[in-house]
Amino acid sequence: MTNLQVITLVSVGAHPTSGRPRRAEQDARAVELGLRLAGEHLQVLHAGDAESEALRSYLGMGLGELGVLQQSAADDALPVLADYLSGCGAQLVLTGTQAETGEGSGMLPYLLAERLGWPLVVGLVEVEQVDHGIAQVLQALPRGQRRRLRVRLPFLASVDNAAPVARQSAFGPARRGNLEALPAAAQADPLLTAAQFQPARPRPKRLKVIKAKTGAERMKAATAKAAGGSGQVLKDVSPEAGAEAIFNLLIEEGVLR
Amino acid sequence: MLNTLLPILLFAALALAVIGAAKRFLMWRRGRPAQVDWLGGLLAMPRRYMVDLHHVVARDKYIANTHVATAGGFVLAAVLAILVHGFGLQNRILGFALLGATALMFVGALFVAKRRLDPPSRLSKGPWMRLPKSLLMFSVSFFIATLPVAGVLPADFGGWFLALLLTIGVAWGVSELFFGMTWGGPMKHAFAGALHLAWHRRSERFGGGRSTGLKALNLADPKAPLGVEKPTDFTWNQLLGFDACVQCGKCEAACPAFAAGQPLNPKKLIQDMVVGLAGGTDAKFAGSPYPGKAIGEHSGGPHLPIVNLNGKALVDAETLWSCTTCRACVEECPMMIEHVDAIVDMRRHLTLEKGATPNKGAEVLDNLIATDNPGGFNPGGRLNWAADLNLPLMSDKQRVDVLFWVGDGAFDMRNQRTLRAFVKVLKAAKVDFAVLGLEERDSGDVARRLGDEATFQLLAKRNIATLARYQFKRIVTCDPHSFHVLKNEYGELGGRYQVLHHSTYMDELISGQKLNLGTHKGGSVTYHDPCYLGRYNGEYEAPRNVLNAIGIEVKEMQRSGFRSRCCGGGGGAPITDIPGKQRIPDMRMVDIKETAAELVAVGCPQCTAMLEGVVGPRPEVKDIAELVADVLIEQAPPVKAASQAAAEVL
Repeated sequence: MTNLQVITLVSVGAHPTSGRPRRAEQDARAVELGLRLAGEHLQVLHAGDAESEALRSYLGMGLGELGVLQQSAADDALPVLADYLSGCGAQLVLTGTQAETGEGSGMLPYLLAERLGWPLVVGLVEVEQVDHGIAQVLQALPRGQRRRLRVRLPFLASVDNAAPVARQSAFGPARRGNLEALPAAAQADPLLTAAQFQPARPRPKRLKVIKAKTGAERMKAATAKAAGGSGQVLKDVSPEAGAEAIFNLLIEEGVLR
Repeated sequence: MLNTLLPILLFAALALAVIGAAKRFLMWRRGRPAQVDWLGGLLAMPRRYMVDLHHVVARDKYIANTHVATAGGFVLAAVLAILVHGFGLQNRILGFALLGATALMFVGALFVAKRRLDPPSRLSKGPWMRLPKSLLMFSVSFFIATLPVAGVLPADFGGWFLALLLTIGVAWGVSELFFGMTWGGPMKHAFAGALHLAWHRRSERFGGGRSTGLKALNLADPKAPLGVEKPTDFTWNQLLGFDACVQCGKCEAACPAFAAGQPLNPKKLIQDMVVGLAGGTDAKFAGSPYPGKAIGEHSGGPHLPIVNLNGKALVDAETLWSCTTCRACVEECPMMIEHVDAIVDMRRHLTLEKGATPNKGAEVLDNLIATDNPGGFNPGGRLNWAADLNLPLMSDKQRVDVLFWVGDGAFDMRNQRTLRAFVKVLKAAKVDFAVLGLEERDSGDVARRLGDEATFQLLAKRNIATLARYQFKRIVTCDPHSFHVLKNEYGELGGRYQVLHHSTYMDELISGQKLNLGTHKGGSVTYHDPCYLGRYNGEYEAPRNVLNAIGIEVKEMQRSGFRSRCCGGGGGAPITDIPGKQRIPDMRMVDIKETAAELVAVGCPQCTAMLEGVVGPRPEVKDIAELVADVLIEQAPPVKAASQAAAEVL
């Protein structure tokens, strides 16, 4: 698999308690996965400021260089990344699920996959094998479950905390590594020019009522597959009937009013 | 016949010795350059040998006397033998002097031989078992060969048969003692040891001085190696120091990691460095192995990496990470070898170049970078422990007598009790003090011992910049690790302060009659010396004085003072957590229980945490500050108001 062309996209993270810039946790895991797949051929890409010192902690994982599509904080990362990726012959592009700074909407992998017209695998844990342009991968599901998927190359995959922990960043390689500014036609982010930043409100959490009475039941609740039960499998229905069913469910759940 | 053979033998052996010495010297010089006082060191060497080194050796009277007799006799005998038998100065007085010298050496050698009859496990066997025989052979052969010179026997006594015997004896003796000295035999310790004393990397240690702070890496030069990857990355006088080892195993006997069955033996480590220096395998090592690691499977060379993370090289990484940096080995070493420096040098390479700090190491280092504390706690919570104490801040006061350095124990609920107790003492003594509050950062101790010199220097430089903004006479801290780093390791980076451990400061307050103290009630008490207070900084008295002042008679452990056994909490050892057969704090608790004390007084947050982690039933663990605060009699206490308030609360 060493001849696989892998690119990992990285961002500048922020420490959860102190807010100081650092390597983003999930992006670092994406780099780790990339290093395991492609070794020293891994290409790492960032859209932003090549002077940013926090990027050096990715270099400290043993990368020779890190490409930076030069742009300002107010620019949109999506078009420059899409332009670069469509022309570079990458077969697998890895990202984190959600950035720790900026918008942090978690939309980038989806929008990027849409623009490139590539499949997107969320929660990638491992690439098991690649042959004849088809990759067999493991995807993380809740409660430690894994799903085996076969995806055609090239594809995009996002990595969450189920992926292997990132290796330590060492001072020596971080200092030696090269932050290489790549030419990029920066475009201002229309959302950022129009909208304002405000701190995110924590999402309300579903109340978790523990019904289990015994330890065994609690263990089952924690580990077993979500039973569902009230769900409904739609098979061989017309698009209209399908849409109708989804629409009704959304009204029932109070998502649409 | 002897008159022709002896000079030939003597000068041949001497010539070989000189060639060997030159070869060995060039081997050491493969190391990186080091600043030494070439001539001054050589001139100071006899004094360092007779005074400083003997001071360490003399802790064991038996071997000290044995060594004085054997080595003194040998040096004298060698010089006289060269004069008498080499240059043929067949003077009767010289002859008698030589007889005396060889007799002295013979007596010493007998005691060496006696100790080798049933040698303790710390001693190396192998060629070392041969040494007393060689010493006896040398002294006896020269004694008999000199009898005719002194006129005791006729010149042709014994005929050719005795001459032949003596020739063999002398040949054996001079092979071991002259050229064996420079060609890697057991006597190498005398040759390398003498030069090691002359060009020691911490010459401040001689003449009663103390030098324990780690030496800084030059991070400004991108070409300077970050730590030690291969033997030639050591400075040349470090390599020389390794060669000085006598394999007496005092370090092995003192090492807490070795006793706990972790894969570290300081003696073997030094011998492995000698193997690396010369090239080869460790198969010839004749002492105790690293616990759990067979001998003969590791090899290396001067230009080969010492550690191979994916296989075997000279030393395994876990050996280096087992060390608690307690300095017990350095304290015991009669050759004054610097084991801890070497271990941290090799750790630096693993952390700074390989990113291979084991277990929680990487997480702790990341936390230190991002939050200035090893636990990853929000830096804004650094003063939460004192929310109700109304502590004066340096940023408000600007100028105080005492800057109270809180340390990372601020985030630990157990240690907060100690801190609060010490604040109570400070307030009772009406000390003009203040804390840095949120401006304080980790001192960098753990980062540095884990080999992360970059993070250490980052933290240290920021702390130095913060401290430079304020005026204070002294820094006082309850943490011996911060104490050591602030006192001994910030200096090289430009921060020079007068730093005191809280026990020293309380001792001062008590002798200055600033505290009104009752007496300790409760059972007997023992005291555990923290490594970074005792061995690193020589403070053994103040904590004991404080305990005495509150009516405690310390029941000393067998291993106390400079021989105190580490709690297992230093050097990042709880973070790298290398498995062994038992835990170091458990062994220390056994030491404590042997005194039958009901309480152990400590002076270090690490020791507190480690000893309190031992399962009960066990003696209670209390910091000296807590013990003092417990017996504090506050002047003119508003008794009524206090009891009323208590009643209302109830």
